[in-house]
Amino acid sequence: MEITLALIKPHVLRNTYAMQQIRALISQNFTVLDQKEVCITKELSERFYAEHKGKFFYHRLTSFMNSGPCYALILQSEACIQKWRSLLGPTKVFRAVYSDPNCIRALYGLSDTRNACHGSDSEASALREISILFPEFDAAVGSRQAKRKT
Amino acid sequence: MILGYMVFTGNTMLKTQRIVLGISRSYTAKAKRIVLAQDKTKIKEYSPKTTDNHEHRVYVWGFQETGALGIQTNVKKAKERYTEMVHHPTRLQFSNNNEITDVAAGYGFTAYAVKRDDGETLFGSGLNTDSQLGFQVKGNPNDPANLDVIIYPTAIKLPRVQGETDEDMRVKNMSAGRAHLVVLTQNGTIFTLGNNSYGQCGRSIIEEERYSKSALIHRISQEDICGKEDEVVQVECGQDHSMFLTKKGRVYTCGWGADGQTGQGNYHTAGQITLIGGDIEKEKIVRLSCSSDCVLALNEAGDAFGWGNSEYGQLDDSELAETQINIPRALKLTKSLGKIKDVAAGGSFCMALNDQGLVYTWGFGILGFGPFVEQTSKPQHLLPPLFGRNDFSNETTVVSIGCGVFHMGAVNSDGDLFMWGKNRFGHLGLGHKKDQFFPFKTAINGKVTKVAYGVDHTIALCKSFF
Repeated sequence: MEITLALIKPHVLRNTYAMQQIRALISQNFTVLDQKEVCITKELSERFYAEHKGKFFYHRLTSFMNSGPCYALILQSEACIQKWRSLLGPTKVFRAVYSDPNCIRALYGLSDTRNACHGSDSEASALREISILFPEFDAAVGSRQAKRKT
Repeated sequence: MILGYMVFTGNTMLKTQRIVLGISRSYTAKAKRIVLAQDKTKIKEYSPKTTDNHEHRVYVWGFQETGALGIQTNVKKAKERYTEMVHHPTRLQFSNNNEITDVAAGYGFTAYAVKRDDGETLFGSGLNTDSQLGFQVKGNPNDPANLDVIIYPTAIKLPRVQGETDEDMRVKNMSAGRAHLVVLTQNGTIFTLGNNSYGQCGRSIIEEERYSKSALIHRISQEDICGKEDEVVQVECGQDHSMFLTKKGRVYTCGWGADGQTGQGNYHTAGQITLIGGDIEKEKIVRLSCSSDCVLALNEAGDAFGWGNSEYGQLDDSELAETQINIPRALKLTKSLGKIKDVAAGGSFCMALNDQGLVYTWGFGILGFGPFVEQTSKPQHLLPPLFGRNDFSNETTVVSIGCGVFHMGAVNSDGDLFMWGKNRFGHLGLGHKKDQFFPFKTAINGKVTKVAYGVDHTIALCKSFF
């Protein structure tokens, strides 16, 4: 089964109701392998968003993640990368509120930067992002992959 | 045959009775007049029944699960009685007992400026996870459990220095951001509460500061911002930055500048309150508006200026338009609107009101022109009949405009509020959850004087019709 990283951004973590709703949604759809509150420092967010380096929103994104604690979860289910991303909806909140009004970002996002949650976009980036936020999780992934081979 | 006869006799009996009655009531014309003449002292003059004698009443609607509406009194009862949103403007019980003079709405919280005998001047309800409503404890002082969500307006104790009176602490102006609150009092002191991770509270940023359960209310004297000769007249918060407008028309900013919304000529975060220049350096600014990351300013002559986020072409529509403008700039696209009286900046759109009373909108979103979500950099005006002008009241005109991140509103000279845009959690107050594509009057039992547009709730300060 696939795994993905879900990262709940600082402004949602401060909204107790939104947090409750998103947690309920997650427990309905996924198995949570690991979860924790993380403080994303400048260095951590620069590593995390390395692929966006040079884009105009890069500084905005990294400094936003820095504004408070985030909540990181490792989710597992069939095709969970796609599933989590479809629950999230389009990246741009101002467009999402019209095109996909019931997605997480349309309900709890505040602007294109403050877009509620992050989801990995591929299997490779899921593993990369998990290794950044859950360095201790590497072993578990390794062992599971080994099991699958045998 | 027998049956028909009985009916006939019955009728005649009724007739004779009526005649007898008529005879016994035979008045002369004069006597009739005396009987019918009304005793004027007994005519009851109608006086409207008012439940309270306060000048203002407050109506609230939108998302209420965060407690921002302040209309619940008991969490358990609220679970049985209320749904998560309030679709119709609802009278705030708190305003029946208190003279509310001003309101401000942030993300999931509301602040009320109050005039009271006991000296409290500021109340708040809603999300308090960043202590944006101060340090709140449960009723028992021995149980200092911080309340993350405050469901009913609660006093926020502003720390006073010696000699400061209740009158000094009365609120002159205030504004709320995503998780911070800025309050300006009558004696020119500025209090900032809540999240300061970008310096939006006007103090230096402390790494890994905990904002929940924090009792810190930062105090700034206006002298420290603009000197002795000037005074702060308006405070305005974006989601994560703050701006201070002075009597001389200068603008000072602090907070998150990643979109250039601080207008300081860079994209840094600033904990230091700084005077900004650019195209407004020599202008006398009279109004600032911001609800997210795009800022509009208006000068005395009625020209608009803008800075911050322009990803949807709100501030610039030229070919090489930048998406982030970090220094105040005179707007080219509002040049044709004539003298502008009021401006409002939303998340992805802007609004302006000119001296003809015409409301112009542009940017991305539901702009009010029909059943589309549209994107345009060309300001277009909405027709006056949409705002209550008709053959019977052809003087009616829009007097003020405003907007939240996703919705817009306008108040006309009759005190009616019209709203349109994204109907997030019912915050348009139209009684349903559907988006509204053209201005529509909200049913409020009072004349609207001020509206605070939150991210997912709306608060209207009203006067009674009488």
